[in-house]
Amino acid sequence: MKQIAVRILQAFGLVLAVIVLNFMLVHLAPGDAVDALAGTAGEMSPETTERLRAQYGLDEPVTTQLVTYIGNVLQGDLGVSIGNNNRPVTEMIAERLWPTVLLSITALSFAILVGVFVGTLAARRPESGFSHFTTVFALVGFAMPAFWTGYLLLIVFSAKLGWLPVSGMEDLRFRGGWFAQQWDVAKHLFLPALALGLIYIAAYSRLSRASMLEVLESDYVRTARAKGLGERSVLFKHALRNGVIPIVTVMGLQFGAILSGAILVETVFSWPGVGRLAFEAVVERDTNVLLGVLFLVSLAVIIANFLTDLLYRFIDPRIRVSGSANG
Amino acid sequence: MRAETPLRSETPLLSVQGLTVTFDGFTAVSELSFDLYEGQTLAIVGESGSGKSVTALSIMRLVTLGTRAKIAEGQIFFRQPDGSTIDLVQADEAELRKIRGNQISMIFQEPLTSLNPVYTAGNQVVEAIRLHQDVTKAEAYQRAFEVFERVRIPEPKKRLKEYPHQMSGGMRQRVMIAMALSCDPTVLIADEPTTALDVTIQAQILGLMRALQDETGAAVIMITHDMGVVAEVADDIVVMRNSKLVETGNVFDIFEKPTAPYTKALLASIPRLGSMTGKSQPERFDLVDMDAPV
Ligand SMILES: Nc1ncnc2c1ncn2[C@@H]1O[C@H](COP(=O)(O)OP(=O)(O)OP(=O)(O)O)[C@@H](O)[C@H]1O
Ligand SMILES: [Mg+2]
Repeated sequence: MKQIAVRILQAFGLVLAVIVLNFMLVHLAPGDAVDALAGTAGEMSPETTERLRAQYGLDEPVTTQLVTYIGNVLQGDLGVSIGNNNRPVTEMIAERLWPTVLLSITALSFAILVGVFVGTLAARRPESGFSHFTTVFALVGFAMPAFWTGYLLLIVFSAKLGWLPVSGMEDLRFRGGWFAQQWDVAKHLFLPALALGLIYIAAYSRLSRASMLEVLESDYVRTARAKGLGERSVLFKHALRNGVIPIVTVMGLQFGAILSGAILVETVFSWPGVGRLAFEAVVERDTNVLLGVLFLVSLAVIIANFLTDLLYRFIDPRIRVSGSANG
Repeated sequence: MRAETPLRSETPLLSVQGLTVTFDGFTAVSELSFDLYEGQTLAIVGESGSGKSVTALSIMRLVTLGTRAKIAEGQIFFRQPDGSTIDLVQADEAELRKIRGNQISMIFQEPLTSLNPVYTAGNQVVEAIRLHQDVTKAEAYQRAFEVFERVRIPEPKKRLKEYPHQMSGGMRQRVMIAMALSCDPTVLIADEPTTALDVTIQAQILGLMRALQDETGAAVIMITHDMGVVAEVADDIVVMRNSKLVETGNVFDIFEKPTAPYTKALLASIPRLGSMTGKSQPERFDLVDMDAPV
């Protein structure tokens, strides 16, 4: 219990630090939302820009702005979007949250399932052609940026073969029942999730191959065989549960990377998620929206790490149980 | 030397003939032959790296699983409880799986790492029982409880639910012994079961194994560095060096009149024959041991 309280306190401090850092970074960049607004409006008198800056508090010293911002965030207010008729940022993010969550979770689960399965099979016969193929595939997959894979998949499966939709999350002209609608979303989801997941399939297959190779040499695997267990039980009951422990660790660490990968992929596939919102915010110098997205991402990463920890405890009893009778 | 030795039956229970095991051209065991008789204890002694563990793993046919090892030559005849004899070198995996952990089981050199860290001790023993016996989960737990009692694990009920990391090395080795005995094997292979444990625990485990052998009547292959242990527990002895058999025979004969100079050197290093009288545990004596932990 105390441990958890400490963790939450730590997380809180971390979030605060991240907000400050993001704020400073964004405000270090030259130009602000009013400049961008003036740009789109064509012409704007200095008086008008001054007035707008005063209205949004942009004329105050950065430290004052920061303190105000933190105070607002703590009350759950992420400010308004200057570029979008003063819409509340929380509302804009909430609208885009589900698509990103769906995309990231699908890509991640896909990557873990396929990656671990492939890696495990490769570890079974480390000298086989399949095993060497996965090593090469992992290297290639790892070297391909997600947006490039995304375009490649788009060209092949949507443009050339016409099997899958090109962009968006659903067919706007779609009419039909609930199940048909889910299927439509799934079709739209497939390519972006694959583009995003491919790098991680590569990473996880490599990692689980290495991890399983080590586990398969361990003494307890020999014990399992000595009991008379078949290779399948040895592999999937005794080895795998130990082999995935490092994968869970990496999964927690990589969650942030998945989210940033999502930004690229969402842009390529016009996926209406938080990533694309961030991209638009950068273009429009929409500081509050950008800060809001960054805040949300760091919050998500921290939560993901927390969940990873719980999962870790579930898988590995050595962490779960404290009092040990060793001696 | 064991006081009363059961009468030796005509045919051996396990007969290793001309066993040769190689790793990528390197010969770990070369043309090794010996016999193990019902209810008796055979000690395999030899310095580190002489091929003792590889021999044991070959009998279980575990040596080739997940390694580059090859049983290049030889036969290992095993008389099954139904009276039929099988050559373990030629047997297929399905046949071997019925024998492993059931008719022949093994205790390993490394008690600290031989149990799976993510499953409870009870789970792992129950798994072995259910694999070879047609019992319900509850019955298997009952048997696991009984076998924990048999290996003198205190508070067996509590220990069944514990994970390996919650137990001491000696306790983990007891769990391994319990697992090995859970299906009443006719052959028990103990590969230096006490080397990794500290001295008082060693004596306890050895004492336990002797008592269990008397209770169960299983034949035991005891691999050891310790000539004192050999003197205490063995009927027959196999002396190995550099992957080869140096000599084999009855412990009495070999201790009286060793023929090979190597065996003589080994025996010369024992303090004195009979120095065990009045002692609860054998003197520990290590052979030239290059791999032993400091
Ligand atoms: N998996 C393996 N791959 C390659 N060589 C091996 C393997 N296992 C054993 N060997 C080699 O076979 C030889 C015999 O090893 P073995 O483990 O049987 O020795 P041992 O007599 O049991 O020694 P110790 O007393 O140290 O346990 C050694 O030279 C060892 O290096
Ligand atoms: Mg050994």
